[in-house]
Amino acid sequence: MTRAAQIHEKLQAAFSPQHLEVIDESESHRGHAGYQDGGESHFRVVIRAPVFGKMSRVARHRAVHAALGTVLVGQIHALALDIAA
Amino acid sequence: MTDAKTQIQDTVKANDVVLYMKGTKDMPQCGFSSRVAGVLNFMGVDFADVNVLADEGIRQGIKDYSDWPTIPQLYVKGEFVGGCDIITEMTLSGELDTLFDENGVAYNKEAADKIREANG
Repeated sequence: MTRAAQIHEKLQAAFSPQHLEVIDESESHRGHAGYQDGGESHFRVVIRAPVFGKMSRVARHRAVHAALGTVLVGQIHALALDIAA
Repeated sequence: MTDAKTQIQDTVKANDVVLYMKGTKDMPQCGFSSRVAGVLNFMGVDFADVNVLADEGIRQGIKDYSDWPTIPQLYVKGEFVGGCDIITEMTLSGELDTLFDENGVAYNKEAADKIREANG
């Protein structure tokens, strides 16, 4: 399973979002630090779920990091998060 | 490990605004660090920069300290504020101005407004 698919699956399971996009932006970082052959190094996630409404910004990010797990987060060089209720 | 933690505590207590980043504020070595340092520089904020690439102990230590897996990390008055996405959002929403106001951190309000105008 690709990392994008893993991210999608984990976030879908954890937050039942009404909107979820996982975008692999690795190609636009080719040649930059952290670029890995085959891509899958730089991701942007856009997620909208009611559960985030009561959380602070930091808490939202922590919740997403926790749902993805340290292994997956550790494999990704850059993860841009756009989180809202 | 403990040394890194003590060092981090001392740094964030001794400086009102600290940015843990890849590279330095004058020569950032990562796009995300560059963006946050650029905002602070443009807003005329007096901040201490710590280059995590220069110290592997601090690079891991700061992630453990804040329980936050990525760099950059911004601290104001010893409190972790967020990483690149959060600082960007707070800059555009004006929350960063409020945070600085509440903590007595000097910054150029006009410059902050210019960032918002350019990205509005």
